Amino acid sequence: MWELLSFGDKGWGDDLALGAILTLQLAFASLGLGLVFGLATAGMKLSGNRVLLGLANGFTTAIRGIPDLLTLFLIYFGSQFAIQTLLSLFGYEGQVEVNGFWAGVLALSLVFGGYSSEVFRGAFLAIPKGQIEAAKAVGMPPALIFRRVLLPQVWRYALPGLGNLWLSLIKDTSLISVIALDELLRKTFIAVGITKEPFLFYGIACLIYLAITTVSTGVIMRLEAWSERGVRRA
Amino acid sequence: MAAEVALEVENIHKRFGALDVLKGISLTARQGDVISLIGASGSGKSTFLRCINLLETPDSGDVRVQGELIAMKKTRSGENVPADRRQVDRIRSRLGMVFQGFNLWSHKTVLENVIEAPIHVLGVARAEAVDRAEALLAKVGIADKRHVYPGHLSGGQQQRAAIARALAMEPAVMLFDEPTSALDPELVGEVLKVMRDLAEEGRTMLVVTHEMGFAREVSSHVMYLHQGRVEEEGPPSQVFGNPSSERCRQFLAKLL
Repeated sequence: MWELLSFGDKGWGDDLALGAILTLQLAFASLGLGLVFGLATAGMKLSGNRVLLGLANGFTTAIRGIPDLLTLFLIYFGSQFAIQTLLSLFGYEGQVEVNGFWAGVLALSLVFGGYSSEVFRGAFLAIPKGQIEAAKAVGMPPALIFRRVLLPQVWRYALPGLGNLWLSLIKDTSLISVIALDELLRKTFIAVGITKEPFLFYGIACLIYLAITTVSTGVIMRLEAWSERGVRRA
Repeated sequence: MAAEVALEVENIHKRFGALDVLKGISLTARQGDVISLIGASGSGKSTFLRCINLLETPDSGDVRVQGELIAMKKTRSGENVPADRRQVDRIRSRLGMVFQGFNLWSHKTVLENVIEAPIHVLGVARAEAVDRAEALLAKVGIADKRHVYPGHLSGGQQQRAAIARALAMEPAVMLFDEPTSALDPELVGEVLKVMRDLAEEGRTMLVVTHEMGFAREVSSHVMYLHQGRVEEEGPPSQVFGNPSSERCRQFLAKLL
């Protein structure tokens, strides 16, 4: 058994490690982009502009209503089709292949953005109105209020919800295996296919996901403690 | 010679839906004036104060700070709105506001609360802002709390920190919106003491308050508001000693 898991030509250890690294890259890239989508969508919902609100609500409804796997297919095959169509307008008829990593990141970050926009919306509304009034009263323009008063405090209210979404996101990276990107789960499939040792390799994959999520949970708890600095515990 | 006019408010009207809250209130504050606004809850005194720095937008009326008129315009639907948001921000930076609920920024320490706006709104250098903030915190008596977060302070300490935050902008006028109403009775005194000191050093102040002792002893002018109108006004000796309005007499009789 140890030989199967060793690093090098005979073992699968290095393949699984590379898969795990790709899984982490997918997760972190999607987190970064997803937070931007989430904040922007929450901003649209709170802007008071009816058109922006409609667009943002439509986006959230679609993302939350469509299975994540379908969202991935829509992005991956849809973007391929769209780019191909666009290029053919300019007379280019060759095959286009979309980068699976970035298609995956885009799909996962849209999902993360859709869900986190609601977390952010609630978090912004939870910041006491008086603090915004105090900022207005000293002459801060809206952008400065956002940067100096709202953004630093939104984490206090958003982190518990975001922590859940982050754990979901890590697990959702496994969906990307279906578009043949060699992340952890696909590496595991391949190993199982060749070695015929499903229990061993699926078990190992479980442990790796569990290790990633356990470390994440610890980090999230630290971040929550940091975000609550200055708040008296009840 | 009369002192320079710091703040001039003319004929402010404000309605919330069907409720006519302010029915034309005017006020002139010269430098060094301490004007107390008194009246029952719902008389419009807080709304009036909030109209001055446009936390509420008046439906009509003019506000001039050190002679500068806040430009307003009408939207297509007839709403009264500021013509230039940047002018509003600039004027607000010259009006210090102290709220009933303190409204300190809870993610910043006391010192950070006080230096925030001088640095980011006025562009004061950090070192200078810190020096000035420490002097102000010493003045309001909480220098030892400068690195503490607001959540760990008593209400009276928080309000004194909020006063220091407002003073740090070196405002032309200080607006106090019921600054002691949210405090436990034993903490009211320490905040009033700070406000008395400010009045004595010649600060121009508008104070919405239920503290009749303060209004009587510290103000240069008292305005009694009733249902959105100024019902009685004058020097405290007149308003408290010999009010011409029967309503004002009754209001004071209940409180004194």
